[in-house]
Amino acid sequence: MSVTAAPKLAAPRRRWPAPVVWVAVAVFLAVHVLAWQATEFSPATLIAGWEGMADFLAESLPPDFSVLGKSLEAAVITLYIGLLGTTFSIPFALALALLASRATTSAAWAQQAARAVLSFLRSVPDVVFALIFVTAVGLGPFAGVLALVFHNTGVMGKLWAEAMDESDRGPRDALEVTGASGPQIALHAVLPTVLPSLAGLLLYRLDVNVRSSLVLGLVGAGGIGFLINQSIKLFRFDKMVTHILVVLLLVVVVDQASGWVRKRLGA
Amino acid sequence: MLTIRGLRKSFGGRTVLDGFDLSVEPGEFVALLGPNGSGKSTALRCVVGLETPDGGEIEVGGNAAMVFQKIHLVGRRNALDNVCSGALGRLALHRSFFFPQDVREEAMSCLERVGLADRALDRCARLSGGQQQRVAIARALCQRANVILADEPVSALDPQAAVQVMELLQALAGDGMAVVAVLHQPELAHTYAHRVVEMKAMVAA
Repeated sequence: MSVTAAPKLAAPRRRWPAPVVWVAVAVFLAVHVLAWQATEFSPATLIAGWEGMADFLAESLPPDFSVLGKSLEAAVITLYIGLLGTTFSIPFALALALLASRATTSAAWAQQAARAVLSFLRSVPDVVFALIFVTAVGLGPFAGVLALVFHNTGVMGKLWAEAMDESDRGPRDALEVTGASGPQIALHAVLPTVLPSLAGLLLYRLDVNVRSSLVLGLVGAGGIGFLINQSIKLFRFDKMVTHILVVLLLVVVVDQASGWVRKRLGA
Repeated sequence: MLTIRGLRKSFGGRTVLDGFDLSVEPGEFVALLGPNGSGKSTALRCVVGLETPDGGEIEVGGNAAMVFQKIHLVGRRNALDNVCSGALGRLALHRSFFFPQDVREEAMSCLERVGLADRALDRCARLSGGQQQRVAIARALCQRANVILADEPVSALDPQAAVQVMELLQALAGDGMAVVAVLHQPELAHTYAHRVVEMKAMVAA
């Protein structure tokens, strides 16, 4: 068998990006120039102002550990705000997720309505909810819990609805054939299938909410955020550093704990 | 028990069923053979309401259940709960949060019928493919079906498990049920079914 050289094929011509790509790149660059100007982005200012930061650090070191007890107490309150804010949003998030997911709700209007409610709750930042509730229930952790319940319902409801959307269609079809109703299918096909993902998302949200409740403290919702705010206002940066170290500890502990449980869940 | 007359169905202009007829008596086991795209599965899905036919008549004398190639059990739940869910159609919502004792007892006898009563509390995901398919058949029994439609019930199973499932379907026909199975293995069809119906691929319309 003789081997003949393959005829030389003409290589396809190299193609340049289409004009629309060039336009997109130009717009992208222009927006960044505008943003650079609007945010007064200036590395020179940062370098020139290094003394301010140095003063700040000098005043904050060594940390004043006399406030450690108070700090830990407040950190526990911050943890509690995050915890209640997460647990109390479970029933609302579950109800709205069941309505919003196409795996559990076939009526398009109900899906749309539930999604609208969820995206409203999600788009209002928890800090704004906190400021609103402070006017109703006064300064303190309770306002923080309420704020988290509202915002977290929006975020967790959406995440849960997406998890349900992605659940296997098969068991749903199988139960539909047995004559099961929509709520029965949700109860016996969708929820048992997605439970580990829902639990994993719940823990992830707990993690985020504990960190958020810190920021809520800054606007008066109690906890360790409130102490940080106080010590800044009194220029007691040495106390502030103690609080921040405690925050660091809290965040790491919650993050590790929820990560550990999520790993066990396989979600 | 099951009569299909002139069933028509097309998906986006592609006709898969054009005047399909089938009649199955109680106690009869019918196998449907034919190439992919000949509308076998679609015909079954129309009978149980998972697809809406474009035309034709379907008469079911009783309650039709379906068994799937991909089995479609909830893998995280145990066999007993999966079988109980076959009864959901006759349970009011407030009684279906936790399956009542009478349903659990009925489900146990259905598991007994398919020879898996001893695996009732095992998670379905831990059962073998053949065992899972028998649990799915038990779920159909718990639905009190008298027509069982099986869509490629043994395509995903090893030969031994396939034989077990075919014997079970044959035995259920022996109990007086009407059984229709879509198959891809002519030998199994001719060995176990009373009647074999060959379907032809539709020519693109």
